Amino acid sequence: MQKTETVCKWLMLIIMVCLLSGCWDREELEDKAYVIGLGIDSSKHKGNIKVTMLLANPEVGSVQGGGGSTEKPREIITFEANDFIAAKATANAIISRNISYELLKIIVVSEKYARDKEFITTIYDALKDKEIRLNSYLAVSREKASEYFIKNRPRMETRPHKYYQFMIEHGIQNGFIPDSTLLRFFRTMERGTDLFLAMYTTAVREKNPEYKKEDEYTAGQLNATGDLQDTQFMGSAVFRNGKMINKLTGEETRNVNILDDTTNIKDILLNFPNPFPGSEKQMSARMFKSGNNKVKMKLKGARPKIIIIIPLQLEIMSNPSMADFKVKKNQKILKERIKEDIRTLNEDLFKKTQTELKGVPYPLSVSARKYFGTIQEYKKFNWAKSYLKADIHVIPEIEIIDFGKQTKKPLKMGD
Amino acid sequence: MESGKLGKREYMSIAILMIGAKATDSNPALLYSKVQNAAWMVPLLSAVIFFVGLFLLLKTMDLFQGKNLFSVIQQLLGRYIGFFLCLVIFLISSFGISFDSRTYTNIIRSFYFTTTPNLIIYAVLMVLGAYGAKKGIQNIGSVGYLVVFYVVLSLFFALIISTQDSTLQAIFPIWGPGKLEILKQSSLKITLYAEFFLLTMLIPNMTSIKEFRKSTWYAFAFVSFQISIAILIFICMFDTSLKGIGYPFHTSIGFLSLGLYLPNVEILFFVLWILAIFVRFAAFIYLNALMFGHLFKINDHKFLIPALTTIYLLIGSIPENAIEVSLVFKQAITNISGPTFFVISLLLWFVALVKGEFKHAKNRNGM
Repeated sequence: MQKTETVCKWLMLIIMVCLLSGCWDREELEDKAYVIGLGIDSSKHKGNIKVTMLLANPEVGSVQGGGGSTEKPREIITFEANDFIAAKATANAIISRNISYELLKIIVVSEKYARDKEFITTIYDALKDKEIRLNSYLAVSREKASEYFIKNRPRMETRPHKYYQFMIEHGIQNGFIPDSTLLRFFRTMERGTDLFLAMYTTAVREKNPEYKKEDEYTAGQLNATGDLQDTQFMGSAVFRNGKMINKLTGEETRNVNILDDTTNIKDILLNFPNPFPGSEKQMSARMFKSGNNKVKMKLKGARPKIIIIIPLQLEIMSNPSMADFKVKKNQKILKERIKEDIRTLNEDLFKKTQTELKGVPYPLSVSARKYFGTIQEYKKFNWAKSYLKADIHVIPEIEIIDFGKQTKKPLKMGD
Repeated sequence: MESGKLGKREYMSIAILMIGAKATDSNPALLYSKVQNAAWMVPLLSAVIFFVGLFLLLKTMDLFQGKNLFSVIQQLLGRYIGFFLCLVIFLISSFGISFDSRTYTNIIRSFYFTTTPNLIIYAVLMVLGAYGAKKGIQNIGSVGYLVVFYVVLSLFFALIISTQDSTLQAIFPIWGPGKLEILKQSSLKITLYAEFFLLTMLIPNMTSIKEFRKSTWYAFAFVSFQISIAILIFICMFDTSLKGIGYPFHTSIGFLSLGLYLPNVEILFFVLWILAIFVRFAAFIYLNALMFGHLFKINDHKFLIPALTTIYLLIGSIPENAIEVSLVFKQAITNISGPTFFVISLLLWFVALVKGEFKHAKNRNGM
């Protein structure tokens, strides 16, 4: 009797093991082709789009690969499709493995299609697909997305998923590109009160781009030479009601990122005009936010008033005029100069958003909500309209926590 | 722990897992669609409302030391009305479990096992629930106690990392669609805590009603805060797009990543979540079998479990798709069950008062 019981128990366990693997959702890593980047272009045929898939080869770069693999790290295919969900099946005519969006990192839309009104219906499919995570990024490329993926050949980081992960991560930390996850995109769309910024990128460098000050570029305008690839991530594409309407430069994007408390920027290295005589060179500093912005609003009355206080900390990194910061007066001059600089920079940006873009490019409307008791009152206020005539003041609260090493003027020979 | 009795901790674990799980299904989105960004207040307010009913019910039950809900109902209201009322409770709870289990099946299918047929997932879920239920409430309690810490911790862990991508200001305007609307929805949504009413069936399994009462209040307070905080964080994270997201918990754990090198970690949370769901349905099925056994005087109610489970599986399979489940069937049952249980609680207390049971009890104690 005892024996039968033991045998039964073991049999039960063995049967359970079979259950564990499942039958329908069994997935073999070998059998999967992971799409890392998805490109969307407009198509000549009405209602269709051109889908580009960037597929990563999981064998490349892994330690267990044994080193014997001579396969390419990636594969790119472009074809016509109705949407990018059913396109997974179509792609199997070319790709031997099962297409999956589970590791999708970036959706690249060509600027032409982003300016099309069809774009919004296409991108909303991302919510329907169970495999696409909302932490995928949305980017706009100046050229066709299909060309973008082909031209974008990183020299060092050949594994596409790592390349995009690092490129985006550091771009966001430096503030030059916005944190444009799908979650933020859909959140902005549903809110319907502000503009959305998507990162702007290109793999084609402009020929002879005009010289600009350090960060006033958009992607493709930075004139870098050397043995490099031409892909640049810089600036942002502005979306209004799900349609691209304009572009912001890297500097403007960084300003928006500083204003926006919901993005995760790290410390920023920047230049600002040198207030001291003796050198044409600008000063450079490391800047970071020491807390969240304080936003005060007076929304009653014909012209709403918005005051934004940005707490910033700076470390001075260079001192071309060799100004002596032990002197209190010099410290004050510097502080005032930086303050004025940041204030005008931000207020100019707000002026641009009010006149040119006709909306605020980050969720400022959320800070306005607390001045209303109910949703009805807030709707009546109509943020999108009221913002345009708002009177906006930016007050940077500057703290210089480090003036850097005190350098003395080098002695001249003969002195 | 006395043999055959349910411990305090075990009972509390069951209660927390059963009701706390509601923060992870379609309830947050459902509440958001009704009262927008004030949805986080609803669990707290309806907890206050349901507290009144539950308090009076437990006070009444106190008179009948160690009797379960159905015995008390039949003793107070007589054989016929009592039987009818018990039948109504049983039916409501049966439909409740059917559509609830279907909802969870939908979640599992749409987020984790996308190509497995619905019926298979559903059957596995129910078979596991039935197996647990058949083992008896002590075992369910022990398993519940084993997993409850991990489940609650993982839930809060997920919520805490979610705050990285959220703005607290999303809860404004503070009153949402207006105070009156919030109150109205809170009174309708007391179904959130309907399981506490059913859990009074377990009183004979505890050592004393005093213990039962105390643990109920602890679990009740904890669960109402848990649901409220979860909804609050979902609102802060998704803002207005929450209304388009059916199951915000599962969407958010798909979004989370633990640093740069550990993205896509939802499976960690999923495993613990599904353990909680097994406990939840095991307890639920056990309660229903208990009720059925009591209604029709079947002493060994454990033999009812497979049959009942099959029936629930069949009822739950009626709706064609997830939208039908949540909009038609579940909506109906949530709007009915909470208020009905609330009214029954008040009715019992009132009848006991009129009949002078409270006085009798006092006299008895006085002697």
